[in-house]
Amino acid sequence: MLSKSQARAFFFVGTGLCALAFVGLTVDTFGKIPAQTGQAQLTEQVIRGKDLWDHNNCMGCHTLLGEGAYYAPELTKVIDRRGPVFVAAMLRDPQAMYPGQRKMQQYNFNEAEIGDLVAFLSWIGKVDTNGFPAKPPLAQGNVGPAANRPVVFQQLCTACHSLGGVGGNVGPALDGVGKKFDAAYIGKWLEDPAAVKPGTKMPKLPLTADQIHELTTFLGSQGK
Amino acid sequence: MKYQSQKIAWWFFATCMLLFTLQLVYGFIMAFAHAGMDGLHAYIPFHVARATHTNLLVMWLLAGFMGAAYYIIPEECERELMWPWLAKLQLGALVATGVTAIIGFHFNWWEGRKFLEIPRPLDFLVVIDVLAFIANIGMTIWKGRRMTTTSMVLFFGLLMAALLYLPGMIPTDNQTVDSYWRWWVVHLWVEGVWELIMGGILAFLLIKLTGVDRELIEKWLYVIVGFTFLSGILGTGHHYYYIGTPRYWLWVGGLFSALEPVAFLGMAIYAIAMAKRGGRHHSNRTALAWSIGCSVMSFVGAGFLGFAHTLPQVNMYTHGTLVTAMHGHMAFWGAYAMLVMAIIAYSLPLLTGRDLQNSAAATFAFWTSNIGMIAMTLAFAVAGITQVVLERRMGLEFLAVQSEIEVHFWGLILAATLFTVGILAYLWVFIRSGLPVGPVDADDSAPATVA
Repeated sequence: MLSKSQARAFFFVGTGLCALAFVGLTVDTFGKIPAQTGQAQLTEQVIRGKDLWDHNNCMGCHTLLGEGAYYAPELTKVIDRRGPVFVAAMLRDPQAMYPGQRKMQQYNFNEAEIGDLVAFLSWIGKVDTNGFPAKPPLAQGNVGPAANRPVVFQQLCTACHSLGGVGGNVGPALDGVGKKFDAAYIGKWLEDPAAVKPGTKMPKLPLTADQIHELTTFLGSQGK
Repeated sequence: MKYQSQKIAWWFFATCMLLFTLQLVYGFIMAFAHAGMDGLHAYIPFHVARATHTNLLVMWLLAGFMGAAYYIIPEECERELMWPWLAKLQLGALVATGVTAIIGFHFNWWEGRKFLEIPRPLDFLVVIDVLAFIANIGMTIWKGRRMTTTSMVLFFGLLMAALLYLPGMIPTDNQTVDSYWRWWVVHLWVEGVWELIMGGILAFLLIKLTGVDRELIEKWLYVIVGFTFLSGILGTGHHYYYIGTPRYWLWVGGLFSALEPVAFLGMAIYAIAMAKRGGRHHSNRTALAWSIGCSVMSFVGAGFLGFAHTLPQVNMYTHGTLVTAMHGHMAFWGAYAMLVMAIIAYSLPLLTGRDLQNSAAATFAFWTSNIGMIAMTLAFAVAGITQVVLERRMGLEFLAVQSEIEVHFWGLILAATLFTVGILAYLWVFIRSGLPVGPVDADDSAPATVA
């Protein structure tokens, strides 16, 4: 039967070996982190963005690298998903972008600070995370017509609207929208929704004339 | 209770009760926000409630560990505390620091690093405070008449917990490095050295409550904490899968963290076996219920539910979802909250001279809070699994999924209400027991009426 001194020896030897292995792996990891995270791209602007991220406790609602709270979306790949234009608009006025939905605080960031945060999120999006977050394996949009949609549609419009069952449910689905409205109306609507329909919840998006043209063509063809 | 200075433990325990109650309030604020009722958004937005909820937990558990140490160490070492005045000062400083931090959170003063939100200047105060505590119990052990395994395990657990706070203070500009060190604190605390503290306190309670020979209990204590470190240290790797660290952590973290339930299972079997073996029928049945309950619920919450999403293939989809909240709630409750409740339930009659531990309210508190917590865990599980399937597997939008799972948060609120009723009963027993008196006569080492 095991004696107390043997039990003690098991504890000390086991703990010692594991602690040594852990310290060894940590040293090795620190040798590899600079290349894996793109440490060379940590500009002053990115670091200012990280400071803003920390000092406003963004992790208190969002997750980043999967860490944080579960009240707001995971943001590691948000620049890939939504693009810098959407993220900047969101930071300018969060509640306008998702009207009537779960609220994000209005931080009143200035344009420089918004640039810093976007730079930080762009940097984190390029970190090699061993494949996290995984592409949803059962998603409908992985194949088929979604591949041919304009980038601006995928990044901005799908945050609130769905098409073919893929996208948000904040605003109405856009299936067959080209049958309901003509291209001229859609174009005006995109330029300034409130001018067409006062009191609408849809925000005025920071779109260029080219993007409005692209979206008008794309949406006008839906349902035809 | 044999020593005058053990009385100080009561004040730490009273602090626990106060902070725990406040923690529940903030928990409800978050649950209601998740259920779509965020009326407090302008005053206490979600991230404030979240930081307050978790930091109150850490603070009251630390206060509980300190109180436990101030109760246990004099008795184990057979002498008065070295500096009782320092213990009082140190409690005051801890409360002041904690309250400042919590108020600061409401005014956007924090670090925004999960679990370690306390702003940097206050970190230094925490370190000084804990060092004063360590010095106090360390000197008591040093000057004591005997040095037991139980007191040494408890002491080293507390010392390592203090030292492991330091990596979290290393400054860095790289989010990955930031996260790497943060887990040195958080993981090596809860799945490492805090388990030493847990082992030490449980061993003390089992020795007192079951009457099993100290040599036997302490021998198995070594084996269990041995398993804890064997799995727990390299098990830290399960936080290094997807944060920008090398791929080998998937293997190391997956393999070793899969062994973590073994340590918790060992702890549960150990507590149950000792209770069965013990010939003594100690009069404080509630304290024994909390002690054994702690070992069992920590196995379910920390061991089993932790294992449920620790493998990298699973964690790829559950990482950063409410599944983590499911595991977190029962793990902290089972392993650490129940441990502190056990030592309070045990020591309260001996501190105050009023034994209400066999009252209906004490039994009600144990069962109601545990059933409430199990129901809460189920509500989180349903919400979490639904989120994983809809958002991570099917690719639905975050907000669309959140409105789908809103209903489960009403379930959570119901369960949390039950839990709260149990905790209020516990609090009622605590208050009714009154203030601490001098050394209480009730000789704890003699068997009570044998059934």
